[in-house]
Formats: sequence, structure tokens, C-alpha cells
Amino acid sequence: MPRTRSSKASSSASSVTGVPAASAPRNNLASQAGGSATARSTLLGVITRPRHSDAAISYDSSPHHPVDDEVSDQSTISSYASSIGTVNGSPPSDDELERMYKGYLEKPNVLTQSSYKHSEFGHCNNPNYRYTSQYNPAEPVTPEAEPLPPYYVLLTTYMSYTLLILLGHIRDFFGKKLYPSYYEHLMPRDGYAALNSDFDSFYIRRLKVRLDDCFSRPVTGVPGRTIMLLDRYTNDCRESFHLSGTQTRALNVSSYNYLGFASSTGGCADAVEETLKRYGPAGAATRHDAGTLDLHNQAEKLTARFVGSEAAMIVSMGFATNSTNIPALVEKGCLVISDEFNHASIRFGVRLSGASVRTFKHNDVHALEDLLRDCIAQGQPRTHRPWKKIVVIVEGLFSMEGTMVNLPAVIELKRRYKFYLYVDEAHSIGALGPNGRGVCDYFGVDPREIDILMGTFTKSFGAAGGYICGTKDLIDGLKVRSHAFCYAEAMSPPVLTQIIASMAAIMGIAPPLATPVDLDEDVSDSVSIWSRHQSFGPAPRQELPVWFSLPPNMANGTEGRERLRRLAFNSRYLSSGLRKLGFIVYGHRDSPIIPLLLYNPGKMGMFSRMMLNRLGPDKTPIAVVIVAYPATPLITSRVRFCLSASHTKTDIDLLLRACDEVGDILNLKFSSEGPHWPVDKVIASAEELVATTDLDLVQ
Amino acid sequence: MATPSTMVSAPAGASPADDISPALLPVVALLSSTLTYLTNWFNSIPGSPILLRYIRSSYQNDPWRSLLEVLLVAFALRTLLARRTRGEGEGKGLRLSEKEIDELVDDWQPVPLVGPMSDLEKRTLESVPVIYGQNGAHARVAPGGKPVLNLAVYDWLGFVENDEIKNVAIDTLHEYGVGSCGPMGFYGTIDVHTTFEQDVAEFLNVESAIIYAQGFSAVSSAIPAFAKRGDIIVADRGVNFAIHKGLQLARCTVRWYAHGDMKDLERVLASVDREIRRKGGRLTRRFIVTEGIFENDGMMSDLPKICELKKKYKYRLVLDESMSFGMVGAHGRGLTEHYGVPAEEVEILIGSMANALGAGGGFCAGSQHVTAHQRINSGASVFSAAIPAMHATVSSAAVKMMQSQPYLLTNLRANVLTFRQQLVKLEPSPNLIAPSSPNGGAETPFTNNKDALISIPSHPDSGLIHIFLVNPPDTLEEEENVLQEIVDECLANGVIITRARRLRGQESVEPEPSLKVCVSAMFSRKETEKAGKTLRDAIVKVCSKRR
Ligand SMILES: Cc1ncc(COP(=O)(O)O)c(C=O)c1O
Repeated sequence: MPRTRSSKASSSASSVTGVPAASAPRNNLASQAGGSATARSTLLGVITRPRHSDAAISYDSSPHHPVDDEVSDQSTISSYASSIGTVNGSPPSDDELERMYKGYLEKPNVLTQSSYKHSEFGHCNNPNYRYTSQYNPAEPVTPEAEPLPPYYVLLTTYMSYTLLILLGHIRDFFGKKLYPSYYEHLMPRDGYAALNSDFDSFYIRRLKVRLDDCFSRPVTGVPGRTIMLLDRYTNDCRESFHLSGTQTRALNVSSYNYLGFASSTGGCADAVEETLKRYGPAGAATRHDAGTLDLHNQAEKLTARFVGSEAAMIVSMGFATNSTNIPALVEKGCLVISDEFNHASIRFGVRLSGASVRTFKHNDVHALEDLLRDCIAQGQPRTHRPWKKIVVIVEGLFSMEGTMVNLPAVIELKRRYKFYLYVDEAHSIGALGPNGRGVCDYFGVDPREIDILMGTFTKSFGAAGGYICGTKDLIDGLKVRSHAFCYAEAMSPPVLTQIIASMAAIMGIAPPLATPVDLDEDVSDSVSIWSRHQSFGPAPRQELPVWFSLPPNMANGTEGRERLRRLAFNSRYLSSGLRKLGFIVYGHRDSPIIPLLLYNPGKMGMFSRMMLNRLGPDKTPIAVVIVAYPATPLITSRVRFCLSASHTKTDIDLLLRACDEVGDILNLKFSSEGPHWPVDKVIASAEELVATTDLDLVQ
Repeated sequence: MATPSTMVSAPAGASPADDISPALLPVVALLSSTLTYLTNWFNSIPGSPILLRYIRSSYQNDPWRSLLEVLLVAFALRTLLARRTRGEGEGKGLRLSEKEIDELVDDWQPVPLVGPMSDLEKRTLESVPVIYGQNGAHARVAPGGKPVLNLAVYDWLGFVENDEIKNVAIDTLHEYGVGSCGPMGFYGTIDVHTTFEQDVAEFLNVESAIIYAQGFSAVSSAIPAFAKRGDIIVADRGVNFAIHKGLQLARCTVRWYAHGDMKDLERVLASVDREIRRKGGRLTRRFIVTEGIFENDGMMSDLPKICELKKKYKYRLVLDESMSFGMVGAHGRGLTEHYGVPAEEVEILIGSMANALGAGGGFCAGSQHVTAHQRINSGASVFSAAIPAMHATVSSAAVKMMQSQPYLLTNLRANVLTFRQQLVKLEPSPNLIAPSSPNGGAETPFTNNKDALISIPSHPDSGLIHIFLVNPPDTLEEEENVLQEIVDECLANGVIITRARRLRGQESVEPEPSLKVCVSAMFSRKETEKAGKTLRDAIVKVCSKRR
């Protein structure tokens, strides 16, 4: 247990310094200035970020049962009620847990005035559960060594696959004799080759089908903090599924809803409704015909400003942003150097372009440098003519690994080797950096140093489509040469408005629509717009649509900032917590994508099912995503959590408990680093774990 | 794949050497002699002691670990060899010293990331109209300006402006939000997606359908999902850009037949057939790929003839109905309805949800096997987020309206006829418009109109009309300029049409420059006449100026 633990009940949160609860933020300021470094100072992480590794204080907040008359505004900090914690150190009993989590997904245990449903965007107003996502040189961007499981795990994994494949072949062998009708469409028939031969589909028919109940689960409603699953059953060993008519609400740690903007209510939804009335639901034509609306131009301008570059173009599908624009950038005689784990859309685009491709080991800057030297020195194959241009394509945040590109190092290489840098920020835009502007913001790199910044709106912005940012020359050139602008449909107005609204909420709008915030009232508000880095400024009001409006706390940027900081806390907490529990977790601790390694194929299905049909005392279902070959290397099957600002700390606690429970049953705690902590200790030390730069230092 | 287990079990059984039954002794002897031989051989390789020491020290003489490592390496090799996209240019190159490489690096100068724009490209970018507010048959090209007639959107039936559909979208918004935040495989399969898939499958009377997030990507991803290396595709030379991209990705053998020419199709099919017979070999997948209404010129495929040929030569048909779905046929079911061919005969039928349906995205309809295969193997479906829920509900609503309001299509056809009548005087042959003839009379040989300025190959039922100049200027650039002048002239008179934009230099088959006109069911007769007349006057004015 942490040495500096002090336990406080929620009502006496501020009793240390004896000031009333209403001035809690200033209290923090004071205590920080006084040199007592606390995890609570994360509230002010905008100004100073806690760099202390060992002196963090964490709290045991007592279990809180909502009192009806306690209503607080989301921005005022009046209670710690958003946490369900341990009672003064002793782990909660099963009964207590069951009571705590009853109806938990829909009913907030803190009463706040909010335009969001708790089931879509969790109410959590504890200022301690905030963090700022920013590069800290004390933490390596890439770990020195990838954590390895014990060898028996690798062995059993290979054996499992061998067994599955053998069984599959045996089943096919007898199946073809006994049930020829089942194989009919897989075999050549009256002169037609099979659309999908039995050989090509073996992996899918004999291996993937065993897990099919864990994929493509039908859902309804908003993919927010929770998701409503449509229950289904199968009568033929997962060959086909039927809806049973019932529904299950599950905690959603799977959707790419990083900032929680997927929502059916609130400022963004209102703006989208207004657009639907004004513009209708469709883009109606290609951008080069009459498909360019004023909204497109406004959204492009805003995107450029958001990302911090000169100009932007918007495409109606994220995948197509890569696959239709890369061919407009490179052609035969050019070289593309691509990270081995780059997304399929990038590979599509490169294949269409006709350029040569080389790949380098995932995130390995030295391998990249060696390859660059080799390629520049050797020139084009056979002719040895120099390459016309070399484009290095990396992702900001890798969607299956949770790793971040080592941007400063790559930019260093760029200066030396004169290649063009293309960064796919599909997952990092909005999700990383103190201002949510992606990897550049996170590392404090000027976005203009990167030639091509690509990203998608599917993820953090709760919309759809993608963008490319760069210099005006680049964007103009792309606009006339991009397949998407010439031949694909334009982005539809509701999606554009969702983008504009969510982006404006992250940036804040200047001049603010609300009256300027009073400095004495709330410190976190006043730092929201004015303290930002120059190139990451607010959205100018005059560039937004005239009819457009947002509620005050969105327009002044407070809410956006809260979301960024909640996401940063959640990510770091879960990633650290899982590591402390003894799981093997990949990726950076600031990444909202957290892959937990499972290895054995059999455990994948079991993990997903046991998370949904919980065995633990609280029974709250959790919807998780499992990924396996071919999306990952064969051996490293994993479950991938995607966290969101809409999750509360209690949600993460719940998730940790569930993982702990399933991890014990399935034997998943392979990590050889440090002692494995009990889950209650992890939950109690949440803030400390988040604040530290080195997990090993927290004992 | 069977290797790991066998390799693992062998040493496990052989290691306790003391209690081996005598019967196994020869086997053991053989094994040990092989081992000795292998050891000697290994030791004779230069550098092998280093390798050995490395393996020893790195794993503290843990044989299991090393064995596993070997397996891993073997597996890595296997995957490497099996990988579909291998890097090029691997292998030995010139041997250079570090210093030489440094010099080469210093000397190397890349070309600029984007080349300078040509004049034509500049003009293309400048001439893109911006619509303020509601798009559709009537649109504003300046803020607060007067609405003009818009004949540049693929909104055949006017669903973009339909209030009923707007309400559907708003209702969906309040239940589902906007984004789906995940691919179909990972909690992105929203019930409304499935509903639309069923709706459109029922509408077309096929087994099933699958949604894509973008119309363009639907066809360019569906083709490579099925056609692999070694397969054969016979395609119409005039197919659209997206199909070209799909064919390029598929990396199969592609044979072309002359645009819309059924005789040539038969000739190509027969020659492929002969070739296969001659070579023998494995039976591979064969596809005919064509479009319903061609995006590049508005012509229509002769579906019954194609179906006949495909059956004869045992091909499957990939039909891109992105333009024709919601445009032709009594209810807008597309070519299959127009010709009375059951949609099941088309194995892979692709449609757009962005054009006629007034939403966004695309779909592919076909048998259960066809769609199930794409759900797992089609890149744009697997690796991309599902479309926003409201696009699906809007599309469902639009399909229902097509079914219940066939007058929309009657209006569309009437408008197309009215519009074409305005232009008929400028065409080579005055009696071209005979709606019954399937192929639009594009290649009617005789010309009895000496003053013909334009030719329109588009099918008389097609809402998409491409207009080509009969006596074009010498260069492509000048021709585009003339067309742009016509477009500008029309806009000045309150009608938006567009010059067909092309990606010159990236097209596999460069289409001739043309004007593109999209007629909508939303226009009144008078408006259609006005639009046609405006265009005619503009053509006459610009062309006479040129003479
Ligand atoms: C790195 C990367 N690029 C592009 C995409 C495609 O984006 P979208 O889902 O919007 O089509 C994704 C989505 O998964 C991605 O991870």
C-alpha cells in the first residue's frame, strides 16, 4: 500500500486545509505551491504537469450513495461522489460490490446537471481523475524490450493452432464425404471455379468460426460509454445467428469513441439536427461537380486550424482518404517506406500508386535509418537510378499495438535523409496531446514539420470520413488529383457538422460566446483557451457557420478540455493498472488503445464471453474486442480496450476487477515484472499509478 | 503447420536415454549419427561458433527456449514467404562503404512532393461551384442568392430535399448519434445497417446485401475480394474509374472488350476460352465486369445479351449499378428491372447509396455466400468504420419510397425526354430518341444533320447525360476550355451543369472530354425545358463564337 496514504471521506475532502469545498481548486493551487506535490495537482496539469514519481498521495474515497438533493454542476467540484471505492482499505465484499454496481450502467451515482445520458457519457466530476496527455522525456516512447510471456505459453499457443488446424482438416476430410452439400459452394461446380475455395476459406471456416459469437455482435443505439447489444443465439455451431429479441446493455470498451462525442444528445447533436433541417442528409454529388457545400469549406478550414497546418481536404471515408490520395502523391519511380504494422488502407493506397514499397520493423528508428541509407545508396532496383522521392508512412498511434511513433526521432532522420513524412493520425488525432491535436501536440513538434498529416473523423470526433492536411500547394494539388474528389461522393452535411461541432468544442470558440470566466470562480475554465500554444488556438467564430451555436461550456472550451483530461487519466490508469495486476500489456501508457495479450486462441473466445457474461459479484457485462491473426502476428492474439472520455473512474475500476477475475481463471497474468498486485490495491492507488513516470517505483 | 508439434515431441520422447527398449536402438543410432553429421556440417560453416555461442549465452543454455526461438524463426520465415506484398528490390545491391553512402545521401535531391499544377488543373480547381445551403435540384451558388437549377447532382429522385427523409434522419440522430465508431466486425453492426441490407435485398429480390461506407470504395474493394491472381476478368473498356482501381488491385488477368460491343465481348470470351483449353491448367474464377449505366458516357449495358454470354462461357457477372440503381426500371431497381432479368442472375451487383438514395455509402447485393465472403475479405468493409446510422435509415426510407411511389421514376423519364428534345436539333440525327431501343442509338451511322454540334451517346432513359462535341478543337486542353465556357455560360443563365472532371494521367483509358448533365425528377416540365434551352443556347453561342 502507498506509504503516504491518507484516507478521507468525501464530505471531508477539503478538511486538510480547512477551506470550504467550493474553493477546492484554489486549495490545490496553494498546496502545490507549498511544495507538497500531490496527484491532485493534475487538475492544473495545463500549467504544470506532475513530474513526481514517488510522492503522490492517493485517496480512499468512501462508497457514496447518491443523495437526491445533491446536485452539482459538472464544472464545480463539490464531491468525490463519482467514485465507488474501497472502505478505508478493506476490500469490498461481494455483497457490497453487487449493491454498488446494481443498475450501474444507466443510473449515475453522482447527480449532475448534464445534457448527456449517463449511459452515453458517464458523469464523473472528481477533479483528481484528470490527467494531461503530454510527452515526458522521463518515459521512453518505445519500450526497450517487448514483454515476453513464459515459453510454455508460446508452446501451448503453437500447439493449440496445430491442433485446431489438424482438427479442421479431419473435419473437412470427413465432412466432404458425409455432408457434400455443405461444401458445394466451395468446390468447382459445372464449369465454375468456387468463388471462395475450401482451401482459401479454411482459416475462416475452421478457426474463426469458433469465435464468431465474439465478432460482429449486432448493436443498437449510440456506441457511447455503454452499448446496447442485441442478444443472439445459434443452433448450428455459429454458422448462423438469430436474434432472440432481448437486449443487453454492456460497458463499451471497444468503440473508437475516444472523446465521447458519439452521443444522441448535447451540443453536437443539436447542431447536427439544425444542419439536417438546413442542408438535408446527403452530399449528393462528387466534390468537383456540385457537391462542394459552404460547409465543406468551413470544415476544411477548421480542420487545418485544428491540426495546425495551412490547408486541409476532407474525404467522405477514412479508409479512402489513404487509398485514394496516396496514388495521387507517389507513382512509379518513387519509394514508400512503410511501418510493418501500417493499416490496410495505406497498403491499398500504395499498391494502387505503383510505387515501390519497403517495410521496416515496427517503430524501430534504427531499422528505418538503415533502410533509408540502403535505399538512397542503391537507388531504384536494377537501374540504380536515384529515387524520385521517398515517402515514409507511419501511424501516429498504432491501432493494434497502442504504440506511438517516435516522432522527434523520425523528424531528426527526416532532416538528414530528406524524405517526405506521411503520418496517419487516425487514432491519435483528438486522443493525444494536451490540446488533443494528436502526436505533434503530444511531442511538442510543430505540425508544419510533417509534410502530410492524415487523420480520420471516425474516432475521436464521433463522425465519419478523413482528412489530409499540409501546405496549400499540397492540398490544391491533391484536390485536383485525388480520386476521391473527382469520383467519390462528398461528405454529407450532418457528418460535417458533427466534425465542426466536436472540433470547435475541443478548441473552444473565440471570441467566446459565453461571458469571460471569472478568474476567482474556477481556475480550470480560464486556462482553457488563453494559455494554449500559439499554433493550437481556438476556433475563430467568423469561420464557423453563421447559424451554428454550441452551449456555453462547449463554446468556451471547458468541456473539450475536460474530455481530453478524462481520457488521458482513464488511459493511463487502465494501462498502468493492468500492468500492476500482472498482465502483459503493449503500448504506451498514454495511449487510449490498450492491448492485453492473451496468446492462446482458446482464451480469446473465453475472455470475450466471460467479460460479457460475468462471473463476478457485480455481473455488469463488458463488451470487448478480441483481435487475432491476420490483424496481429499469429502468436500474439490479444484483447484490445479502447477507452473513452465518457468512462468514469468507476468504469475503469470495474474493468480492472473484471480483468482480474477473468485473468485468474484463464491464467493470463504472465508478466514477470514486479509483484502482481491485488486489484483492490490497484484501485486504491489509481492516482499514484497515473502520476508516476515509472511503474516500478510505485510499491 | 504440423511441424511444431512433431518437432516438439521428438526431443521430448528421446531425451531420457537410459530406458530405451532394444527395438528402438537402430532408430536411436540413426538419429545420433544424423545428429553428428549435422553437427559437423554446422561446425564447418564459417561463423557458426559465434552463432552457437550467441544462442547459448542469450538463453542460458535453455534448450527449450532455443527450440522455441527456432520455431519462431521458422514461422517468421514462413509468413515472410507467404506474404502477398513482398518488398521489391531486396537482394544484393552494390557494396558501398559508410562514407560513400553518406555522400550519396548528401547528394540525393528528391523532386517536390507535388508537381506544379497544369493550367487545366488550375482551372478545374477554380471552377468548382460552391453550394450555399440545401443542395438538390434547386441550389444557391452564392450566400443568400437566388436558387438556380442544379443539373450537376446525382439526385435522380429528389430524396436529398425530401422533408420526410429529413425527419427520418433527425429521428435516427436522436437514437443513434452520428458516427458508428467502429468497423462492422467490432460492434459497428448496428441494427439499422442490417435492416437496410435486408430492405435492399428484398427490393432487388436477392438473398442478401452488404453495406460499404463509400460508393467509390464499394466496387474497388469488392472486385479484389473475389478476383485473385490467376483469375480472369473480362471488362468493358468504358467502365468507370473505381472499377479500374478494383481491377488494378485484383492483380488478375484482365481482358478488355470494346465499349458496349457485344460482338467483341463474345470474341474476347471465345479467345480466352481457346487459350484456357490450349493451356489446360486449373479452373480459375472468371468474371465479366461492366456497368449498368456507364458513369463515363451514360450508355447502358445490354444485360440480356451479357447474361446469355456469361452462361454460355461460364462467367460470373459483376455489375456496377451505382448510377442506374434508382434511375432506370419501373421502380428504380436498375438494369435488371429495366430488362426484366432476375437480379439473382447478376452474381455481384453493386449500387450506391449516395446517388439515388440521397444518403452516403454503397452496397453490394448477391447471394449469402457473396456477402459473407466480403464481410471477412473485403478491405474497405473489414478495415473501415461502418457508415453512420442515419445513412442507413435514410437509405431504407428512400428504398421504401421508390417501391411505393413509382411516379417518381415516371417523372424522371419524362424529364429526361423533355430535356433531350431540347437538344435534339444539335445532334447528328434528329430521330435518335426512341426509348424502346436498348442501346440508345449511340452508333447510328447516318448523319443527316450537317450542322450537328454535339453527340449524345447516353441512353434515352438515362438521367445521366454526357454531351460530346462533334467537331472538337485539336487539343484536349482547348476542348476542355470550350466545354468550361459552355458551363459558365449556363451558370450565368441560372443553370448548373458540369464538365465531366477527369484525372488526366491517372486514367487507364482516357475518356474524351464531355459535358455532364444530371436530370432529376424534381424539376417541373417548364424547368426542364428551360434547362435544356439554356444549355442549347449556350452550346450554340460558344460554338459559333469559335468558328
Ligand atoms: C490507421 C488507420 N487509418 C485509416 C483508418 C480508416 O478509417 P475509417 O474507419 O474512417 O475508414 C483506420 C481505421 O481503422 C486506421 O486505423
